[in-house]
Amino acid sequence: MENKITSESFTIPMGPQHPALKEPGHFQFTVDGEIVTRAYVRLGYAHRGIEKAAESRNWVQDLYLLERVCGICSHIHSFAYCLAVEQLAHVEAPPRAQAIRVLVAELERIHSHFLWMGVSAHEAGFDTLFMYSWRDRETVMDILEGLTGNRVNYSANILGGVKFDVDDVQAASIRKGLDFLEERTNHYLQVLGKDAMFLQRTRGIGVMTRAQAEVLGAVGPTARASNVMRDMRVTAPYSAYRQFSIRMMLDSRGDLEARFQVRVQELLESIRLIRQILDNLPQGELSVHLPRRIPAGEAAVRLEAPRGEVFYYIKSNGTDKPERLKVRTPTICNLNSVIRLAVGHQLADVPMILAGIDPCFSCNDRMVTLADERDGSERLMTWSELRQHGIDFYKQAAK
Amino acid sequence: MTLISVLIALFVFPGGLFLIVAGLFYQWFNRKLLAVLQNRIGPRWFQPFADVIKLLAKEEVIPDGVNPYLFIGLPIMALAGALTAAVYVPIAGIAPSYGFSGDLIVVLYLLSLLTLCIGLAGANSLDRFSLVGATRTLTQLFSYEAPFLLAMLGPALVAGSWQVGKITAYAQNHWLILTQPLGFVVALVGLMGKLEMPPFDAPEAHTEIVAGALTEYSGRGLAIFDLGRAVELIIGLTLVSSFYLGGVANLPLFVVKTLLLLFVMVGLQSLLTRLRIDQTIGLWWRYGTLLVLVQWFFMVFA
Amino acid sequence: MKTFGVMLPDVSKSLFRRAATEYYPSIRKATPVQLRGLLHLKLEACTGCGLCAMDCPANAIQVTMLDRKAKIFTVDYHVDRCTFCGQCVESCRQGALHMSSTEWELAALDKTPFLMRIGDTRNAGTNVAAKPENKPAEDKHN
Repeated sequence: MENKITSESFTIPMGPQHPALKEPGHFQFTVDGEIVTRAYVRLGYAHRGIEKAAESRNWVQDLYLLERVCGICSHIHSFAYCLAVEQLAHVEAPPRAQAIRVLVAELERIHSHFLWMGVSAHEAGFDTLFMYSWRDRETVMDILEGLTGNRVNYSANILGGVKFDVDDVQAASIRKGLDFLEERTNHYLQVLGKDAMFLQRTRGIGVMTRAQAEVLGAVGPTARASNVMRDMRVTAPYSAYRQFSIRMMLDSRGDLEARFQVRVQELLESIRLIRQILDNLPQGELSVHLPRRIPAGEAAVRLEAPRGEVFYYIKSNGTDKPERLKVRTPTICNLNSVIRLAVGHQLADVPMILAGIDPCFSCNDRMVTLADERDGSERLMTWSELRQHGIDFYKQAAK
Repeated sequence: MTLISVLIALFVFPGGLFLIVAGLFYQWFNRKLLAVLQNRIGPRWFQPFADVIKLLAKEEVIPDGVNPYLFIGLPIMALAGALTAAVYVPIAGIAPSYGFSGDLIVVLYLLSLLTLCIGLAGANSLDRFSLVGATRTLTQLFSYEAPFLLAMLGPALVAGSWQVGKITAYAQNHWLILTQPLGFVVALVGLMGKLEMPPFDAPEAHTEIVAGALTEYSGRGLAIFDLGRAVELIIGLTLVSSFYLGGVANLPLFVVKTLLLLFVMVGLQSLLTRLRIDQTIGLWWRYGTLLVLVQWFFMVFA
Repeated sequence: MKTFGVMLPDVSKSLFRRAATEYYPSIRKATPVQLRGLLHLKLEACTGCGLCAMDCPANAIQVTMLDRKAKIFTVDYHVDRCTFCGQCVESCRQGALHMSSTEWELAALDKTPFLMRIGDTRNAGTNVAAKPENKPAEDKHN
C-alpha cells in the first residue's frame, strides 16, 4: 500500500476494517480529488478452508458445514449440495420435499433482498430506509423460524429431502406474513423509485452496459439490471422450479437504480411464487433414504442464489466422505464489475456501487495464492507441495 | 456587576457548564427523536453524557507525523470559539449583556472557527480518510457560509442593526418567519449544513471515509470536539429560532422554540439521503444563494 | 415524478406508535414450537447405536459403550459445540432425541453446565450416573 502523496492523487484503502464493508475485504482506490482513477481488490480475509474441511467429514456432516459458507444464502448452499449428492446417488427427492425446498429458498431470497435494501440504504446515508426495511425483515425471519426452527441457517434440508412439513396452520401464518411484506415491498418500490434525494445517489451511477456485463461475467440481479438474461431458475430450471415457474426480472438501464428495481421486483415475484407453492403443495413423503456411501462419480449443479449463480462440483470416490468439493459463489463474478465501474466515479459513489452488487465476502474466499515475502512472487501449491514446504521450512529453522 | 456574578454568568449559567449540559441534552433529544421516527427505542437520557465521560477516560493516541501542538490545541480552540460565541447570543432567554454593534458577524465567525478547526485537525493528520474529510469539511464550510450569512442578515436588515441583542428584541414583536419565509428556509437548511447533520454529513460520511476529519482523534481530543459540536448545536438553534421564530424572551419560550426547530430539523434528517459533496455545493451555490437573493429582493423593494 | 421525503407517512406514523424493538428481557416473545433449542435424550428409547454421534457436524454427541451386551453406555452432549441443526433428531431411528422449543437461553458463566452426561439406568451398581449430572444454566430470569 503506497503512503506517498504524489502530485494530487493518493490511495485510499477501504478495508479490511471499514464501516462500509460488512465483511472483510481489501480495496484500494487511487483518487484524484474525489474522482477514482484506479481500483484494486484483494480478498482472502474470510477464508476458512471449508472445501478442504469437507473432505474429512462424512456426507451428512458436510451438509451443515456447507450451509455455513454464507449466512444469508445458507439454504441455497445446502440445497445445491443436496442436489449434487442426490445426483451422484441417482435418487431424486420426493416432489413435496422439492417444493418445500424451493419455498424456503424463495423465503430466503426475500430475507436477503430486504437485508440488502437496508444495507445499501445505509451506505447511501438513508438510515430511515435501513431501519424500516430491517424491521420488516423480522417478519420473514419469524416466518422462517416458525417453519424451520431457526432464523438464519435454517438447516431445512437433509440428504434426500427436508426435515419438516408445512401444515395448514403454518401456511396460514406464512400467508399473513406475506401480505404484510407485499404491502411493504410495494411501498419500498415507491421509495426507491420516487424519492428525489435517493435517486440522486442511484440514478445514472455505476452504469454497466449489456456488453460490459457479458464480458465481465456478471451474474444475478447485477447482470439482469443490464438486460443480460441470466437466471438459473428460468434458463435451467432445477427441482420444483420445473413445476412452479418464475419470471425473470430485467431492466435495461444498467445503473444502480436498475439494480434496486430488479431486486424489489424479484421480491414481489418471490412472494407470488410462495403463494403459488402454498396453494399447490404436492402430496407425498418428505424424504427418501440415501445410502451412507455415495457411489463414485462427479456431479455439477448450478442454482440461483439471491446474489446470482452458485455452482457446485462434487467428486465422490464411493466412500462415506467426498473426495473433492468445489464451490463457486456469485459475488466473485460480480466483484470484477465493481473494480471496473468504480474508475471514473466519485469516491462517495464507490460504497454504493459495491452495495449494488450485494457483496458477500464470506462466500468468496476459496483459493489463496501464496506470495513469497522475500521477492513478492506468487505461486500455487498443491497440498503435498505445501506439506513438503512446511517440513523443509521447520527443518531449516531447526538448524 | 460583581466579579462573582460575571464569573458565574460566563462559566456556569448561562454560559460554560449550562451550555455544555444543555448542548448534550439537545444531542440526546436529536438522537431520541430520530430513533422514534425510525420506529426504534433510542438512547436513554444520559447517553451523550456517558459518551463524553467514556471518551475522557480513554487514552488519547497522538499519531505519528502530526504536529502535536496543533493536534492537542485545535479541539480546545474549537470549544473555546463555540463557548465564546454564546456570550453574544440570548441563551436561555437571557439577553446578551456584552453585545456590541456588529457582533452578529463575530458570532458567525466564531461558529465557523469550530468548523475550521475540524478541517485543520483533519489536514494535520496523515491518514487518507482525514485528508478527504478535511477537504470536504472546508468545502462545505465555504459553500454554505455565504447563503447562511445572508439569511441571517435578512432579519438584521429589517431590525436596522447588526447586534444580536437588538435583532432579537426586534424579532420579539415581529415573527420574521412569516415575513421572510425563504430566508427562514435557507437559514434552516444552512444550519443543518453548519452542524453537519444529514443530509449534509458528507464530511463525516462514515460509510465512505470512516470518521472524516476526526478519524485520528480519540479520548480527550474527541470528547472536546464533541462538546464543541454540542455547544454549536445549541447556539445555532438559538440564533435561528430567536431571529425567525419571534425571539426568546424567557427560559420556557427558549426551550420550546429551540426544541421545535430541532424537531423540524430531525424530521428532515430522517427523510433525506446524504448528499455527495459536489451535490451539496451545487445545491448551495445554486438554490441557496438564489433563494436568499430573491428574499432580499422582496425585502428591499416590497 | 420525483418527490421529496417519500418515507414521510412511515415516519409520521412512528411518532405515535410503540417502538418495534422488544424490551428483552422484560418482555419475551413466545417461541414457535418448531424452534430448535436444547437437545433432550429419552434414555429408555436409546439403544446406544451412535448414529447421532456419527452424523453430528460439530462432534457434540459422544456415545461411550461400556458394555455392549449389558447395554451400559454413556452419552455425552456438549452444549457448547452443538450447532442446533437437528440432524441427530433425524438420524435417530428410535425417536429418542428431540429439541426443546422453550430452552434456548443457554448462556452460562462457566463451562460446567455445557457438558451433559446421560447414563444408562438399566443396570444398578455401575458407577455411571443415572440422570444428567449437570443441569443447563439455571433459568435466572424466571
